[in-house]
Amino acid sequence: MSDEIALDQLKESGLDVFQDTVDEFLAAADVGVVYGEPIKHEDTLIIPTAEVLCVMGFGLGSGSGTDTSKSPESPSSGSGSGGGGGGRILSRPVAVVVSSPEGVRVEPVIDLTKLALAGLTALGFMVGMMFRMSSRRHSLPGLED
Amino acid sequence: MPLIESEVKQGEATRHGNLELIPVNQVFRIQSAGKHVGFIWNRPKAIVVRDEDGQEQVLPVTDVTRIAIWAMLAGGILGAILIGLLYRHQ
Repeated sequence: MSDEIALDQLKESGLDVFQDTVDEFLAAADVGVVYGEPIKHEDTLIIPTAEVLCVMGFGLGSGSGTDTSKSPESPSSGSGSGGGGGGRILSRPVAVVVSSPEGVRVEPVIDLTKLALAGLTALGFMVGMMFRMSSRRHSLPGLED
Repeated sequence: MPLIESEVKQGEATRHGNLELIPVNQVFRIQSAGKHVGFIWNRPKAIVVRDEDGQEQVLPVTDVTRIAIWAMLAGGILGAILIGLLYRHQ
């Protein structure tokens, strides 16, 4: 009986943690997450913007059992529960909204490091293919051979 | 049945001078039936500028970095395919 109560309490506390995590996860979809606090400087207002990627996984489990193998007259029982989860939030600046007396404009934020990495990857694809094709051609026997 | 949805939301307006700036975002969400697994992609979509006459202007927020990265990767793959085809025909 006390095992069942303890198991229920564990389940409830696990569910509370689970609910909090889901609430935090759902908060990542809010407008305020991608638009930062407006920064005012003299006549200019700046609003930073960012994109947010959020991934989450969660699992809970519980169980109980009775062992009658040692003494069938007084069986021993046990129970347990457990849970685990993980997640990751990625955020990246996208643009800055600038409102000045001249008007409102959106200035993009360009991540040069990511662009360089993408460029090197693209170049790697092409150079790799060139090496592969030229080495294949050299390894083929000629017609006169 | 997993929940897959995309929605456009408007945030609170910010007043600057005689202009009102309304942020708009787009959320793409995938959630498993039991809400055990989830994915959210939240990105800024546009800024709606409303003047005191009530006229609205929509300024899209373009993610230049993302477009450039995908263009480069697509160019790299296409280039590799073209190089392969050229070598094969020679």
